[in-house]
Amino acid sequence: MNYSRFLNAVSLARRPSPIRELTEILQRSPPTMISLASGMPNTEMFPFQEATFKLMDGTSLTVDKTLMKKALQYSATQGLPDLIEWLKKLQVAEHNPPTYNCHGEDKEMDLLVTTGSQDGLCKTFEMLINPGDSILMESPTYPGTLAVVKPLGCNILDVDSDGDGMKPGHLREILSRWNPSDVSKPREEVPDIPRILCLIPNGGNPTGAGLTMERRKEIYEIARKYNLLIIEDDPYYYLQFSKPRLPSLLSLDEDGRVIRSDSFSKILSSGLRLGFITGPKKLLERVKLHMQASILHTSSLSQILAIKLLDQWGLDGFRNHVDEVSQFYLERRNILLAAAEKWLTGLAEWNNPRGGMFLWMKLLGIDDTYKMIKERAMEKEVLFVPGRDFFSDSTKKSSYVRAAFSLSTPEQMDEGMRRLAELIKDELQAEKDG
Amino acid sequence: MLLNRSVSIFLRGRKALVNETLVKDYNRFLNNVSLARKLPAIREMVDIQQKSSQTMISFAAGMPSFEMSPFQEATFKLKDGSSLTMDETSIKKLTPYTSSQGLPELVELLEKLQIEEHNPPTCRISCNGEGREMDLVVTTGNQDGLCRLDPHGCNVLGVDSDQEGMKPSHLREILSRWNPSDVSKPRQEVPDIPRILYLNPNGGNPTGAGLTMERKKEIYEIARNYNLLIIEDDPNYYVQFTRPRVPSFLSLDEDGRVIRLDSFSKVLSAAGLRLGFVTGPKLLLQRLVLHTVAGVLHSSSLPQILAFQLLNQWGFEGFRNYADEVSQFYLKKRNMLLAAAGKWLTGLAEWTVPNGGLFLWIKILGIDDTHKMITDKAIEKQVLLVPGNAFFQDSGKKSSYVRASFSDQTWEEMDEGMRRLAELIKEELKGKKED
Repeated sequence: MNYSRFLNAVSLARRPSPIRELTEILQRSPPTMISLASGMPNTEMFPFQEATFKLMDGTSLTVDKTLMKKALQYSATQGLPDLIEWLKKLQVAEHNPPTYNCHGEDKEMDLLVTTGSQDGLCKTFEMLINPGDSILMESPTYPGTLAVVKPLGCNILDVDSDGDGMKPGHLREILSRWNPSDVSKPREEVPDIPRILCLIPNGGNPTGAGLTMERRKEIYEIARKYNLLIIEDDPYYYLQFSKPRLPSLLSLDEDGRVIRSDSFSKILSSGLRLGFITGPKKLLERVKLHMQASILHTSSLSQILAIKLLDQWGLDGFRNHVDEVSQFYLERRNILLAAAEKWLTGLAEWNNPRGGMFLWMKLLGIDDTYKMIKERAMEKEVLFVPGRDFFSDSTKKSSYVRAAFSLSTPEQMDEGMRRLAELIKDELQAEKDG
Repeated sequence: MLLNRSVSIFLRGRKALVNETLVKDYNRFLNNVSLARKLPAIREMVDIQQKSSQTMISFAAGMPSFEMSPFQEATFKLKDGSSLTMDETSIKKLTPYTSSQGLPELVELLEKLQIEEHNPPTCRISCNGEGREMDLVVTTGNQDGLCRLDPHGCNVLGVDSDQEGMKPSHLREILSRWNPSDVSKPRQEVPDIPRILYLNPNGGNPTGAGLTMERKKEIYEIARNYNLLIIEDDPNYYVQFTRPRVPSFLSLDEDGRVIRLDSFSKVLSAAGLRLGFVTGPKLLLQRLVLHTVAGVLHSSSLPQILAFQLLNQWGFEGFRNYADEVSQFYLKKRNMLLAAAGKWLTGLAEWTVPNGGLFLWIKILGIDDTHKMITDKAIEKQVLLVPGNAFFQDSGKKSSYVRASFSDQTWEEMDEGMRRLAELIKEELKGKKED
């Protein structure tokens, strides 16, 4: 694959930081090398020496003096070597990417630790998008992605979706505007041909949809035909409710066209800001250069905490933990669905979420939920996210609301749905009167 | 007209409150990408939630459940023997997403620190509600804050400097190409007029230079004249070797034209934590927050909670004592390296004494391309320094300089390192003679 077709001018202009490169020379040198090169602050002046973390299961994690020094010092851009190794093993065990063994090739699988999966995505888009470019995205989708992509001057092509995720039929229809032969023409000749496809295959945000296996294969074939890069935004992968988990697009990726973004936010901690991207070396190299110019690297302490925990768990322990987490959210989902049935039958419609933590509800007879929420939610004391912001055209009115089932107790869910029912009835009444 | 200098600057400062030097239009400085950023509605909902009573039931934010977090408690042992505990309540803060601006209690504490240390004119009552009102954002390291200012495709105008930092006279010379009246013309008419001035006022990297107060005031006036934003990149502020510390640009900032970048990397010796903070006019910092919302969402909570607890435990006294300890430490290291350089490099190289930070900027006499010398021979000679060409806008330009850091090396290493460098230089000169 020719990756330079996808890179924007800013990304192409990035050069390695000479100081970071010297750090790499240092890492290859014998201990007799004396370095006066990098401005690493002195470890003697670190105020923190050691730390112990008590876990919920009664065990402890210790960060000793040596490890603490590592945690407080500048480290490699791409992430701590131990953590990267563990995560690569996880990716192989879980996805068995076809690109893993492509040694020396541009598409060889590479991995970077990011400051949250959103950071990885943001840097990926900032690498690929030129003003005026087109990008194919599911509709509705995660506003966080819209917040990255829109200011970059991108033209968003909305692809319809349903409970089974993005619809390949509609994707084909949108792409039929161009000839597959157009993809080999230079950019200037076909400036508006889309080159990027972005989707959330599991526990879709906001829909809770799960892309079926057939659709995954179909979409991969379409991406092949039109030489698209696929950005697989998958923070709810481990929160799929059906077992076994559906294979990722990374697992189908013979061509090296998938950049996959994973997150620890739903399975470990959101506050830590820890995620990782997996994809073709040639592209991840550019993201790494961007990191050199910005965060330098993800917080070493967060990384050390993660690797200590993951090492203690091992792959099996990790799998047990994520199963526990998905079970937890499945139970929560069922409680919310029961409450919705009890109070909202006839007032709203919804699909059962296949994963994640969101219920996407269409409120019947209400065409602007944003207005409804802004005006009445405080008074009725129930809060949802209005559907409007999950669409690329945020001025368009929406009948939908998104409800999260991660934090509320069963009592709150029941009461919350009751309040929503009242809210809807009040609004319908007001519209009748108005 | 006959008033002495310090009084006239004081008067000018007072006048600024009603004067044209106040920055009124911040949009003039923002690029297209920044102007296009918007706050996602989810954040709006979180705001509503925060204003509501306890009886509000929210299904808005997609925050993971506390019940599924593996962490219960944490204890950190400090160098001075004391302990810092993150109890269940504190550790719970790791689970959810926090504000993109930064952990609220840390932001509050840092704002107090900035007021204590710099007394910025922009945090006074007179600025309340205005675009230039002082604001503060926590970043994932100083460099992250810098990057979010997004200077892509930029034409860099290099301003000469010496051991007292950037030279105001050269700055004036460069700017004389334009008329001060040009600054009020629309962007399209004068597309190449500079709007940003960037500098590293203390322990400059790589020069170790320290900008004097006199020069700071001059530069501030020039920035006023040409309506420039000043990016004050100051990770070594607390590692200045002279006392009292030279006041910052932020402390002079009547107009609201300074964006100041602070870092915890050198002063808390916590480079790996990736923690810094930006202080500046609210209107500009809110744009920075919008980019953060699209990117990292917020800096890692763990370093923020840690920093907050530590600074809270120390108080400002404790923090200042610690900062003094740190600068004393690096001063000793500087003197060691200067001694080693004096011992081995006299006659072979020249250098000025750094006023802060961790770097010595050495000019090697008779060598015009240190990049070649280092990348070819350093590994063989087993001494590593950074060749000077890395520090110029045009990295293709040859440089006689090298940058040497003085931080975690022992005296023996510095002594031996300088000896190896001396050998390296002699061999290189000999090689050239023979060419």
